[in-house]
Amino acid sequence: MSKMLHVAVREFLATVATKGFIIGMLVTPLLIAIMIVVMPRLINEAPPRVEGELAVIDPTGEVAPGVREYLKPEALALRREEFRKNLEEATPEALRKVSGVDAQTRQALDAALGEVPKIDVVALDPGVDLETAKAPLREAREQHEGESEGRLALIVVHPDAVTPASEGATYGGYDLFVKEKLDDRIDDEIRSGVREAIVDARIRASGLDREAVQALTHVDRARSTTVSASGERETNRIFQMLLPAVMMGLLLMSVLTSGQYLLTSTVEEKSNRVVEVLLSAVSPMQLMVGKILGQMAVGILILILYAGLAVAALMSFAMMGLLDIKLVILLFVFYLLAYLTIASFMAAIGSAVNEMREAQTLMTPVMVLIMIPWMLWMPISRDPNSTFATVMSFLPPVSNFVILLRLASSSPPPMWQVLLALIAGAAGAFVAVWFAAKVFRIGLLMYGKPPSFATLVRWARMA
Amino acid sequence: MSDAIVLKGLTKTFGEKVAVDNLDLTVPQGALYGVIGPNGAGKTTAIRMILSILFPDRGELSVLGRPSALEAKDRIGYLPEERGLYKKMKVGAFLAYMARLKSADGPDLRDRVRAWLERVGLADDENKRCEELSKGMQQKAQFVAAVIHRPDLVILDEPFSGLDPVNQRLLRELVLEEHRRGATVLFSTHIMIHAEQLCDHVVMIHEGRKVLDDTIADIRARYDPRSLLFEPFGGHADVSPAETLPGVAAMRQDGVAWDVALEAGADPLRVMRAISEVIPVSRLEIRRPTLEDVFVRIVTGDAASATEDAARLLEGLRGPAAAEVRS
Repeated sequence: MSKMLHVAVREFLATVATKGFIIGMLVTPLLIAIMIVVMPRLINEAPPRVEGELAVIDPTGEVAPGVREYLKPEALALRREEFRKNLEEATPEALRKVSGVDAQTRQALDAALGEVPKIDVVALDPGVDLETAKAPLREAREQHEGESEGRLALIVVHPDAVTPASEGATYGGYDLFVKEKLDDRIDDEIRSGVREAIVDARIRASGLDREAVQALTHVDRARSTTVSASGERETNRIFQMLLPAVMMGLLLMSVLTSGQYLLTSTVEEKSNRVVEVLLSAVSPMQLMVGKILGQMAVGILILILYAGLAVAALMSFAMMGLLDIKLVILLFVFYLLAYLTIASFMAAIGSAVNEMREAQTLMTPVMVLIMIPWMLWMPISRDPNSTFATVMSFLPPVSNFVILLRLASSSPPPMWQVLLALIAGAAGAFVAVWFAAKVFRIGLLMYGKPPSFATLVRWARMA
Repeated sequence: MSDAIVLKGLTKTFGEKVAVDNLDLTVPQGALYGVIGPNGAGKTTAIRMILSILFPDRGELSVLGRPSALEAKDRIGYLPEERGLYKKMKVGAFLAYMARLKSADGPDLRDRVRAWLERVGLADDENKRCEELSKGMQQKAQFVAAVIHRPDLVILDEPFSGLDPVNQRLLRELVLEEHRRGATVLFSTHIMIHAEQLCDHVVMIHEGRKVLDDTIADIRARYDPRSLLFEPFGGHADVSPAETLPGVAAMRQDGVAWDVALEAGADPLRVMRAISEVIPVSRLEIRRPTLEDVFVRIVTGDAASATEDAARLLEGLRGPAAAEVRS
C-alpha cells in the first residue's frame, strides 16, 4: 500500500509541479474571465454610424411615410434605449455589474443619439425604371467619415401590399435590394421599418385602430416562479440551461486532462525504459494503481479549482441558492467513476505502445467514448427523461456523464435511476480496471510493433 | 546455509519460441554467479522470471526462501538490461524515490543517497536532472538505485554494457563490495572476460538451455584440452624428435605453432621439459581454455549440432577425463 502511495505521490508531483501545468491551470480561468467581461461589450457594440439614403418605390403611397417615420434618428435612439432596458432586466443584477453592462448602457445611451445612423428615406416615382433605381447601389464609393454613402438600399413595395388585389386574395409584400457590404444591423432596421409601415398601412386601410389592435394582441409576459420543497424562487432560465453544460464540461475536462496526463506519463516510463527498474520494486498492479491514484488527485485538484471558482462566483452573485450542493458532491462521485474507466483505458494504451505517436490510433475509440456525451448534450438536456436518456444513463462510461447531465437539468431523474447509474458506473470502472491490469502487465515489457485494440483484448484474455 | 535462488525445470515460451527450456539452477547464499550466453540465449527471460516480472509456463522457483520474488522484492536489487531514468527528475530525488519504493525510507535517506553519489563520482550531480547526465553516469546512478537499499540478493543484467574501461573497473569494484558485504550476486553478461574476472561460478545458457554450470576453476580443469602449444625457435626447425617423446599422442601444425595432444595420464610438465630439450622453442605453454573458447565452441557449432555439441561437452566434462584431473 505504501508503495502505491509513493508512486501516486511522485506521479502527482511530476504532473502538477511543472510550469506547463501551472500555466495551463491559470490561463484557462483567465480566458473564461476575459470572455465574461469582453463578450457582452462586443455584442453590445452599436452598429456603425451610417449616413445614406434609402430609396422607396411605393405605388401605394402609404408605406414610404411610415418607413421615414420609423427610421428617424430620434425614433431609432428611442428604440435602442428600450432594448437596453429589456436587456438590463433580463440580466441578473450581479452579472450586470461584472460584465459592465450597467455603466455601459448609460454611456451608450448618451452617445446613441449622436451615433444612430442617419438614413434619408427618398420616395421615388412609382413609374421609375427598376434598373435605373438600382444603379446607385452598384456604385462603389470611397468611404469618408461623416460623408453620405449614397444609396444604401432600394425598397420596391408591391402594389397589393396594403390592399389585396381582389377580394379574398393574400396581401403582397415588398422587394429589398441592398448595396454590397451593408451592415446587417442596418439591414435589420430597414426590414423592421418597412414591415411596421406596411402593417400600419394595412390596419389603417381596414379601418381599424392600431392602438386598439396592439392592446388586443398584447399579453404581459408572466414571470416564472419555481416552486420547490425548499421554497419559491424566481425561475432562472439561463442558469438552468447552463448548469448541465457546465457540469458536464467540468467532468469531461477533468477526466480528459488527468487521463491524458496518465497516458503521457505511462508512455514516457516505457519509452524511457524506466519501467523495468520500477518493476523491480513494485508489482505492475501497484504501479498502475499508484499512477491512476496520482492522476486522480490531479483531476480532483482541477475539479476543486474550477468548481470552487464557479461556487465562489455564484456566492458573490448571491445566486448560491440556485445550486444544489448535492449536485457538487455527485459531480465528484461521477468524476471518480468516469475517471477510473477512462484512466484505465489510458493506462492500458500507454503500457502497450512505445511512443505517443503510436498511441493515437488506439486512442480513437476512447476519444469517441468521451465525445458521445458532448453530442448527447442537447437532446438529453432538452428531454432529460426520454427513454433514450434513461437507457444512456445505465451504459458506462457514458452513463456517468449522462446521469450528471440529467441531474443538473430542470427535471432530475428519480433516485433509483441515480443509484442504478452509480452501480453501472462502478461496474464499468471495475471492468475497465480489470482489463487495464491485464494489459498493463503484459504491455509494459512488450517492445516492437504497436498492438491493435484486438491484440489488447487478446492480452487481457491471455493474462 | 540455504540457497538464495533455486530454479527447477523452469520453462517459458513466447509463441513458438522457447526462450527458457527446462532450466535448473541453484545459487547458494553469498555466492557470486555469472550467467553467460550469447544475445538471445534466454538470460534476460530467466532473470525476469527469477524476479517474477515474467511468470514461467512450467517449473518451480524459490527466491530468498520465498516461492516468488514478489514476496521478497525489498530484499532484492535489480539492474535490468532495459534500464532508464525519469529524464526530468533530479538524480538525488530519483535515488531517494527508488529507495522509498524498496521500503528503505528513513531519516538518513538523504545522507545515504549523498554517500552513494560520492562513491560513484556523482557527488556534484545530486540536483541535476537525469537527462543531463552522460550515459555512463546514468548507468552508475542506475546501479546505485539497484543497491541503495542494501539488498540480500543483487541481480545485474548486463551491468557492464556501455561503460568505458575506467567505469567498468569501478563497477567491478562495486559489485565485489556488494559481494563482500554478504549479498548474493547474480549477473549476466555476454562478455566472457567479465565473468572470468569477477565470478567464482559460471552458468552458461544457450538457446534457452543450461549448458554449463560450474566454478571457473573446475571449468578450466575439466575443459582442459590436455594439449600443449609450442613454437619452434627459428620457424623451420625439425619438430619430428618431439613426436616420439613419451606422453605425446599426436602433433598438429597450427600456423607457426604446433599443437601437441597429450596421452591420457601424461604429466604435462614432464612432456614440456622433454620438448624443450629436443627442440629449441621460442614459446611453450599449456593450452588453457578460456570461457570464450568454451562459449564460442558451443555457440558457433553449427545449428544442428549445437545441442549435441553441448551435450557431448557436458558428457566430456563429467567423464573420465575430468575424473583423472581430479585424482
